[in-house]
Amino acid sequence: MRARISIGIVIAIVLSMLAAQCPPPATPTEIPPTKAVEPTKAPEVKPTEVPKATEVPKPPAPEAIDIGASIPLTGKYGALGAMVKPGYEFAVTHINAAGGVYVKAFDKKIPLRLTIYDDESDPTKAVSKLETLYSDKKVVAYLGGAGSDMHAATAAIAEKNKVPYLGIAFALYQIHQKGYKYLFSPFPKSPAQARDVYEILNAEIPEGQRPKKVAIFQEKTDWGIELGGLWKENAPKYGYEVVVYEEYAPRSADFSDIILKAKAAGAEALFAVPSPPDGLAIQKQMAELGWTPKFTLMIRAPENVSWGETLGKTGDYVTIFPGWHNAEKFPGVDKLNAAYQAEFGRPADLLTGPAYACVQILADAITRAGTLDRDAIRDAIAATNMTTVVGPVTFNADGTGKVLNPLIQWQNGKLELVWPKDQASAKLLYPAPPFDKR
Amino acid sequence: MTPLAQSLAFGILVGGLYGLAAVGLSLVFGVTKFLNVAHGELLMLGGYAGFWFFTLWGVDPFLSLPIVVACLVLMGLVLYKLLFSRMVKLSEENKIKNTLLVGFGLSLIFQNLALRLWTADDRGITTSYSGQAFTVLGVRFPMVRVASLGIALVCLLALHLFLHRTYTGKAIRATVQDWEAATLMGIDIHKVYLLSFVLGAALAGVAGALVSVGYSIQPTMGLEWTLIALVVMVLGGLGSIPGTLVGGLILGVTQSLTSYWIGGTYREIVALLLFLVVLVVRPQGLFGSKEG
Amino acid sequence: MSGKRLVVIALVIAGLALLTVLPVLVQSDSIINLAILALLYIALASSWNVLGGYTGQTNLGHAAFFGLGSLTTRLLWLSVGWPLPLSLLAGGVVAVVFALLVGAPAFKLRGVYFAIGTLALAQVLNMTVGNMFPMITSLPAEYLATYQLAPRYYLFLGLALLTVGTAYVLVHSRLGLGMMAVREEEEAAESLGVSAFRHKLLALSVSAFFAGLTGGAFAFYHVGYYPQFPFGPVWTFDSMMMAYIGGTGTIIGPIIGAVFFVVAKELLALNLLELHLTVFGTLFILVVLFLPGGLVEAWGRIRRVLARRARAREVRLASPEQASGHQTVVGL
Repeated sequence: MRARISIGIVIAIVLSMLAAQCPPPATPTEIPPTKAVEPTKAPEVKPTEVPKATEVPKPPAPEAIDIGASIPLTGKYGALGAMVKPGYEFAVTHINAAGGVYVKAFDKKIPLRLTIYDDESDPTKAVSKLETLYSDKKVVAYLGGAGSDMHAATAAIAEKNKVPYLGIAFALYQIHQKGYKYLFSPFPKSPAQARDVYEILNAEIPEGQRPKKVAIFQEKTDWGIELGGLWKENAPKYGYEVVVYEEYAPRSADFSDIILKAKAAGAEALFAVPSPPDGLAIQKQMAELGWTPKFTLMIRAPENVSWGETLGKTGDYVTIFPGWHNAEKFPGVDKLNAAYQAEFGRPADLLTGPAYACVQILADAITRAGTLDRDAIRDAIAATNMTTVVGPVTFNADGTGKVLNPLIQWQNGKLELVWPKDQASAKLLYPAPPFDKR
Repeated sequence: MTPLAQSLAFGILVGGLYGLAAVGLSLVFGVTKFLNVAHGELLMLGGYAGFWFFTLWGVDPFLSLPIVVACLVLMGLVLYKLLFSRMVKLSEENKIKNTLLVGFGLSLIFQNLALRLWTADDRGITTSYSGQAFTVLGVRFPMVRVASLGIALVCLLALHLFLHRTYTGKAIRATVQDWEAATLMGIDIHKVYLLSFVLGAALAGVAGALVSVGYSIQPTMGLEWTLIALVVMVLGGLGSIPGTLVGGLILGVTQSLTSYWIGGTYREIVALLLFLVVLVVRPQGLFGSKEG
Repeated sequence: MSGKRLVVIALVIAGLALLTVLPVLVQSDSIINLAILALLYIALASSWNVLGGYTGQTNLGHAAFFGLGSLTTRLLWLSVGWPLPLSLLAGGVVAVVFALLVGAPAFKLRGVYFAIGTLALAQVLNMTVGNMFPMITSLPAEYLATYQLAPRYYLFLGLALLTVGTAYVLVHSRLGLGMMAVREEEEAAESLGVSAFRHKLLALSVSAFFAGLTGGAFAFYHVGYYPQFPFGPVWTFDSMMMAYIGGTGTIIGPIIGAVFFVVAKELLALNLLELHLTVFGTLFILVVLFLPGGLVEAWGRIRRVLARRARAREVRLASPEQASGHQTVVGL
């Protein structure tokens, strides 16, 4: 009897696997199983035209423009990916609601069809998902995921397959120095982050009160090393001194010794790029060990809403360079915030704006290219000059974008935009009061 | 001197937690020979239980420990009845193998469900007294961590007393020594296995709740803590509770001192190297008995 | 039985032929990539099985060999400029050297202690490499431009065949018998003159060599990755799970396990965005619970049941009176 049950289960498993393997029928009303955004079919009114003898008939338009993304929805970057995905999806929905993207070669508006895969924060899986998108869905462009190491791996695939790639949620500048032609990133990079923090401090704080002694906690990853080095290099140019420069491996859990070193050296500012668990640990342990830097810049860890929820007052006064904030006053931000509010109960998260902008840029580029040829699209992206939800965007030759690099600060459990002044929703709070006095 | 002492203090405080995380696994493995590699996920569930009781209903994480224990006891019961009870009859080698496999599958399920239910965001508990510390001889002892160590020690002591002073406890130890003889003496092996498994889950849950107060929790934290539990379990020696505590303390202190003397990037490496050296010198672990 | 053997051999040859022409037959890159992943895991699981399944030593540090192979090959091939075949071989050699170095102290440990000890050792290597090589290693632009999937596919195919073939030959030799004797009852084997230590070391070396070669192939295949990545424990656990699920102690077990694992996971990931891992985990547990000997045993049981039914039918046909005790129509 048991044998029969076992056999039955084996057969069931095999059958279900075979059934799952059957390719979905390629009908125009196909709903791709991976949460792709369905193109909205607006009824087309075809002009009853008799083609003239000398007129070359336009090729039949594809029913949708296929684009694809591999986003970390699970794993260590899952929290970041969760902010990126809705940005892409809302943009595609809004563009498709207006009929789609106008492509001159077919003389009509074609909706976008976005396929998203979860790469589990694993660069190798991201690569294989992108390859699947290329060979199966024949995407004309890639949208990136999140995380510098993820992009370092996936950008190479875009280059190999010659598919234009728009990625955000990474600041590693090194990727852009490999001579890649298909990589575009409308997102602030390490050099901007390394320079802007000093400029903002010098602009906002009078000379006598500046936190001249800086502690840098450098994560031992390529982005951590890159940005840590740049911070150190820039410090003397702006009148600052790096008194503590300590390395740590990701997922360290215990930062007591480097915090104590910073405390002993009298450091007044802290720069770090910790992942969320490390950032939480650092902040908690600073409170426990009684060291409050007057100014803290942490990129990545405090970008999630859960930072404020988890830490409460201990998480306040920390500043971030996240690339965008929902209080920015650019066209389209209100619409995005409203859509986000309706679905998630709060205005758009920090990475959602840049993700939205990527799709805006792509749609604009396709229209300017006039065809769905990848190289034409690539050239059109390179020539971008438009205003998106992240503000004005143009691209440098290496694929980095000339974009705004706003500074955000946690104040009273909320994320406030504090710089640049003309976009700000609140003033920069400085210096931070000691943890036990909050 | 003070930074060194501070490092040492932190090492001891986290070491106790390591010991607690390991002792549940050690108990389960010692009694039932089940190698439940989803132990870290049970710890994670305990962490989320504590977190949600705090976030939704404002229950202090130390006061909610009994409820967390109840939740994990229930989970342990379900898992045992549903899955692990089927493996009781297997040979020892197959038991280890199959429970390893089942644990692997369980860890995938738990991780993924936790991710769906509670998102990938890192969470933690920050109470009103979280940042406070009392200072002794210039060394700061954060209250939350001291309380965690205290709870860990209490649990370990309670477990030790249970195993050595109560009849059920002795039955458990008898099963560890020789399960066939224990059966002959009228001990119901199934009850012993069930009790040990459930106890192991409960201990993991307490450890998890303490982790969510002192550190942070996320759906993928299970593997890391399972590895810690495995290392500490073996370092201390299988079947020895004092050994597990000592193993945890050694691991914690080595990590801290390495970070202090050599650098933060080496803390795990040196600790594991020390572990390996101990194993080579004493293959049965620090307090383990020499098995055939 | 020889008729059956011929059928098996014919099937194997057909299967190999299909695998060989796969890149030509199937134009889809994603299927080739999936096949490469399956072949990689076949090699990894089979090499693990030599030590873990046949010699009974549960090595939780298998990823160390995989990682060392990939690190060595990548460095020699890209940074130093050695030709690829030499770099691959070097990868395997470095893995074996490491195995021999740690083998002597490692084999002092038994059972769970050996398992956790090897795990700790692999983790030490994992973190050290992460510290020494934190930057991503990417193929330079000129390699990217000429990147072709087919040669990589054939490399993995050859590697999988070589690994499985070597395992087969080894297991069916006297050495193989010695290894299995060590697995069953180490002291008894020793008393019969089988040096447990030597056999374990041999199994470890073979296991390490092929894992190292596979790592080298990994380095050749991947466009960009972090040098630390192949040292991660997930490679060990996945290979081990595949060997277990397929059936340790058999040659075909790791193959079936690897294919099942890879195919099931991929199908689920492509079709169920949110819950694919939950379903995979559940499926996994079901297989473990209801097919305790692995998929190989399940297949064996199917065959036995079919054979039993065939025999019962033969008995009924031959002597219906004997079988059922009364007159029946022949042919039922």
